Amino acid sequence: MEISTLSKATTSELTKPRRSSLKIGQGLIYFILIAGLSFTLLPGLMMILSSFKTNLELLHIPPTFWPEKPTLQNYIKILSDPKLPLMRFYGNSVFVAFFNVTSTLFTSSLIGYMFAKFEFPCKRILFGLFMTMMMIPMQITMIPNYLILAKIGLINSLWGLIVFSALDPFGIFLMRQFCETIPNDLMDAARIDGASEWRIYWKIVIPQLGAPLATLGILSFMFNWNSYLWPMIVLQKVEVRTLPVILTWFNTAHAGQTAIVMAATVLIVIPILIVFVYFQKWIVQGFTTTGLK
Amino acid sequence: MVRVKNKKISTSKSGVAVAKRRFVLGVTIPLLLYLSVSIFVIGWAFLLIFFEYSPTRRGGPFLGLGGSNPFVGLGNFVEMVKGTSIETRLFRTSLKNTLIFAFVVLPLNLAITLPLAWLLESIGQRFKTMFRTIYFIPALMSSVGVALIWMSLYHPQYGWLNQIIRSFGGTPKAWLSDPTAGFMGVPIPMWAVILTYLWQDYGFNLVIFIAALQGIPKMLKEAAMVDGANRWQTFSKIMVPLIRPALLFVCVMTMLSSFQVFDIIQVMTEGGPGYQTQVLVLDIYKNAFRYYRMGWAAAESFVLVLIVMSVTIFQMRVLRTKWEY
Repeated sequence: MEISTLSKATTSELTKPRRSSLKIGQGLIYFILIAGLSFTLLPGLMMILSSFKTNLELLHIPPTFWPEKPTLQNYIKILSDPKLPLMRFYGNSVFVAFFNVTSTLFTSSLIGYMFAKFEFPCKRILFGLFMTMMMIPMQITMIPNYLILAKIGLINSLWGLIVFSALDPFGIFLMRQFCETIPNDLMDAARIDGASEWRIYWKIVIPQLGAPLATLGILSFMFNWNSYLWPMIVLQKVEVRTLPVILTWFNTAHAGQTAIVMAATVLIVIPILIVFVYFQKWIVQGFTTTGLK
Repeated sequence: MVRVKNKKISTSKSGVAVAKRRFVLGVTIPLLLYLSVSIFVIGWAFLLIFFEYSPTRRGGPFLGLGGSNPFVGLGNFVEMVKGTSIETRLFRTSLKNTLIFAFVVLPLNLAITLPLAWLLESIGQRFKTMFRTIYFIPALMSSVGVALIWMSLYHPQYGWLNQIIRSFGGTPKAWLSDPTAGFMGVPIPMWAVILTYLWQDYGFNLVIFIAALQGIPKMLKEAAMVDGANRWQTFSKIMVPLIRPALLFVCVMTMLSSFQVFDIIQVMTEGGPGYQTQVLVLDIYKNAFRYYRMGWAAAESFVLVLIVMSVTIFQMRVLRTKWEY
């Protein structure tokens, strides 16, 4: 009895002074968080503001913050460049991303489903092999891959970015995890009704995988959209390049014309931001559950 | 009647088995083909490290190896340790720079993301989501775009960074091109790319830490508070040990990606000034695709993989957890 009142007294004494320090603490927390926020936002803000300035204005010392006379000139210039319209490179990037995302989604779900729900000899060995391949970084394989592309004449072709991306071991792993949670009864019922195995995959399994497929698709899209090293190796001619590769070329071709480069950067970043705003939940979920960078 | 029905089911069952087998075959055969191509590619990469191979020379009949692309055994690796030529010295420089980069990035990243995640934990849900969203944006951006933005920020005359420094009365710097400046033994251009890399990368780790912290039962925090632990103690003694799996994961992923850093450095400095920011992947890229020294580049990438794997295994050993909550 005595002990319990004592402990009650001490806890209330302990919590009382903490309340007021909590207030100050809370203010400090928000201060730090907002400082971090401006560190995060400032470079992006600079990019957007610079893209509306004239090149002349960018050479002011001291630099201006807001554009003096906001202009769309930079955007018009890159979008309507007669020799190298940005739209063509959008097209290239979309083409590669479309094929790679579709094939990744298809192969990952199909193979993941097979590994999760079917029994066959050497299954574990095969799966182990896949996971080992996942560990091998692309710096190892890029040299032979390049030599193969050179042999079959796919250097400077967008297909060169597609042929080696048909399978994604990580996607297979992810899909297998999710397929294991699908109850077998669903498939068995369809089998009794006489559905073929492919039909079961297409009509029963795929609809069950909605959320993980969306996550995988978005991650895969972002990876393809931002990919730089391998496209730079494969696409040596200017006209066939994808957006990140053309962006660096833009930077050297328009040396000193930062405003134009910033406008191009804005246009390249925008699709990703739109995707992010729409699919935020899935992206964050995807990053945290999978750890794909 | 019953017998007939049973029979029907049993025949359809064997039919199902056949259909299943067909399905598995239909999937595994292309799969095995693909797998053998991948194994071939990896095997080829492994063979290359024993040769002085260049695709510009016409070598032997098998993959162009041999002949004018001679077999050197472990010669490439002996060169790496003992060689005095420019490319061997450059390899050692880039190895050193990669290690500096990775071992500066990891602690700085954790020093930013862990406390930040913890602070975000203690504010309201609505603000938390908003902050998290914004912090995460750089992680989504194309690293080429990020590099260009920061190049413009770092610009010696017109960049915002120097303007901020000037307004505080400091002396502006040529952040990306001054080879003489250094801070704590690391060249300033290296710090400049590290800062850029951190800016892009930290939102990713932040999100993982937030998710991990959310997974900790509230009563553990409260119990610590009741026992008289202050905020810092709850954080360091309760939270951090409990999110050890996430910590391990973040450490491994950050290490892996910073050992393989390429995009930002290639765009911002191309390894300069004077090879102060030349990192391993950049060196591999230049050797393989600019000078066509592919045998040498393959050997370099082999070293990279060995380092990456040993670091991963080491971290898994150190940070392995035994308990669950």
